[in-house]
Amino acid sequence: MASVEHLLGALAGRLDSRLWRGREFAQRLPRTGGIATGFPALDAELFDHGWPRAGLTELLLNAHGIGELRLLAPALAALSAAEPRWIAWIDPPFVPYAPALEAAGVDLAKVLLIRPRQRLEAPWAMEQALKTGACSAVLGWLAEPRLRFTEVRRLLLAARQGRTWASLLRPATAAGGASAAELRLLLRPSSGDRLRVDVVKRRGSWPLTGLELHLDETSAARRRAAVREQLSRWRQRCRPRRSDRAVPA
Amino acid sequence: MLWLAAHFPMLGLETQCRAARAEADGGPAVLVEDARVVQANAQARQAGIAIGSTLATAHSIAAQLAYWPRAPEAERQRLAFLGLAGYRYTSRVSLAPPAGLLLEARGSVRLFGGLAALTAQVAAGFQSLGHAANLAAAQTPLASLALARAGLDGLPGDAAAALRQAPLASTDLPAKVLERLADMGIQRLGQLLELPTPELGMRFEPLLVDYLDRLTGRKGDPRQAIEPPERFVSSRHLAEPISSKDALLPPMRRLAAELARWLAIRRFGAGMLRWTFKPLAGTALDMDIRLADASADDRSFLALSQLKLDAAELPAEVMSLVLRADLVTPAEPITGDLLGRRDERAPARVQLADLLTAKLGEDAVRRLQAVDDHRPEAAWSAATLVSAGSRTKAAVGRASRTREPVPRTRPLWLVDPPQPVHAKHFEVLSGPERIATGWWDAPVARDYFIAVAGTGAQCWLYRDHDGAWYLHGYFA
Repeated sequence: MASVEHLLGALAGRLDSRLWRGREFAQRLPRTGGIATGFPALDAELFDHGWPRAGLTELLLNAHGIGELRLLAPALAALSAAEPRWIAWIDPPFVPYAPALEAAGVDLAKVLLIRPRQRLEAPWAMEQALKTGACSAVLGWLAEPRLRFTEVRRLLLAARQGRTWASLLRPATAAGGASAAELRLLLRPSSGDRLRVDVVKRRGSWPLTGLELHLDETSAARRRAAVREQLSRWRQRCRPRRSDRAVPA
Repeated sequence: MLWLAAHFPMLGLETQCRAARAEADGGPAVLVEDARVVQANAQARQAGIAIGSTLATAHSIAAQLAYWPRAPEAERQRLAFLGLAGYRYTSRVSLAPPAGLLLEARGSVRLFGGLAALTAQVAAGFQSLGHAANLAAAQTPLASLALARAGLDGLPGDAAAALRQAPLASTDLPAKVLERLADMGIQRLGQLLELPTPELGMRFEPLLVDYLDRLTGRKGDPRQAIEPPERFVSSRHLAEPISSKDALLPPMRRLAAELARWLAIRRFGAGMLRWTFKPLAGTALDMDIRLADASADDRSFLALSQLKLDAAELPAEVMSLVLRADLVTPAEPITGDLLGRRDERAPARVQLADLLTAKLGEDAVRRLQAVDDHRPEAAWSAATLVSAGSRTKAAVGRASRTREPVPRTRPLWLVDPPQPVHAKHFEVLSGPERIATGWWDAPVARDYFIAVAGTGAQCWLYRDHDGAWYLHGYFA
């Protein structure tokens, strides 16, 4: 591999513009600036240095609850703070627990929970949520056996139209098939609060395996921030009293 | 004071045309009272049908003549509706039956950029509702009305001179008085005004003097201003029964547009609409459209109604439809955040919520709320959007401010209701956390543990007082 790199380097030096390299091409593609995932190790591997702001992400996982929400939460929290748009949850398998979401920094006023009575209506609801541009992010759990390539492609186009970050949570078995999504991550639980992420597909580069994310990294940092905020609030509350005393002096 | 009077010379005919069909199709049409033509449209007049001729004569002139009897009640209602439309231009509108409106215009002149501009806008506004209006402005209500009926221009021109030219028939005087004046050779208002008032008072009843005093402004002429109602009700009777949903859309579109205009006049929105589809016989179908946020946009009304209509079971043959809506103050305008950025996407957010609610049902679209309760299953709620969007928003904001911080050990997925499990499938990581509360309502006494399942997912388990294990969440 190293010798190939060396050879390419030598060739590029000599042939200059006549040698076309995919990586350089990727570097020239416009990067719109993704939504920071909150995990620097993951950001470094992604084309936009974050989740695509207007596009479709697939998260492939074998079991619910292995850390998929903690992976998404920092970005959702940032979006809910920065944008007035909805964050829509289409037919999640369980109840997104409001106190925990709030503790993760997600503004509940922006969260929209959509549970169609018939599962067949879920793709329609997701497409509408994406297309109207009324959502900053849409998370979808769709009925898997019926989800066809064309439907996923429709969702991608709708996400681009509405400038929405769409996330489709699918079983790991779907990793084998082709998908229109521009970013596909395979998630597996690892020991402790760690999540193993394989990048199945990404723009501008090759797949990647074996990325390990420490899920509580962000929440620990946020907890420290929360303590600091609380302290500053107490200080502010104390300050007026001190100034009262200062005035007669 | 400055009064702008509107006279609708064709009110009866236009009302009947509107009730019977969508638009006048261009043929001659007349309004008939006591078998005589009282109003005729332009085509009928062009064909040579004179006002006052008998229906038989009119028929002999134009074979495909459309004619309607006079409907005083419908005319009265339509005039009241036009009065509300006039409300857009001034806050004081009075009705002057049978076919006139009085708009107090002094306050509006500057707003609309002059009397001429105001007059033009009012005329265009009535025209867009399908009514031709003669407009005239004068210093007193009666003078402006007389000018409007006579089709003369008042202010800003020489209103006094124009008034002198007005025929007596365009005044409000009773027919008996008019007859006597005509016998005396008095045809125009100018002639009447030249006569000395005491003499007139002696020869005619006080009514005439009173009228002239009010006409010239020697005496005050207070007018009762209309109050806009709080509720919108409009109906449309179909010329022939409709059994297809597509055919219902045009009349629905017209009613929705009427509602939107009605709301725009008041600068209000509607939070709920109710369509009623009435069959010839049998029970009518009510169809409610709820909106997440008060709106005054007829296109969104119609789009949502159409979605709902697709799923509705209509009566076999619909004969008439009614649209009702309550006046709602629009939800508090979405204000900018601390940095002064405006919430530009608000309409799209509301549109999406309405769209999903209309198609999936009210229960399917909800907003999450955190609730101050120690019981994990009671610490959240999902409210539907229709329960007054702005109020929910405020409640959420208040709740989140006062609540104590959530312990870290709360999962992002809540399994609701808790699922009974065997403890042996899990490896306990930490615990227990005792949660015992809710004695006033549904008591809870549980020991919570964090455990790892075989799949590698971190779970939130609890053991209740009987020793049974339940899965209550995932640290997803």
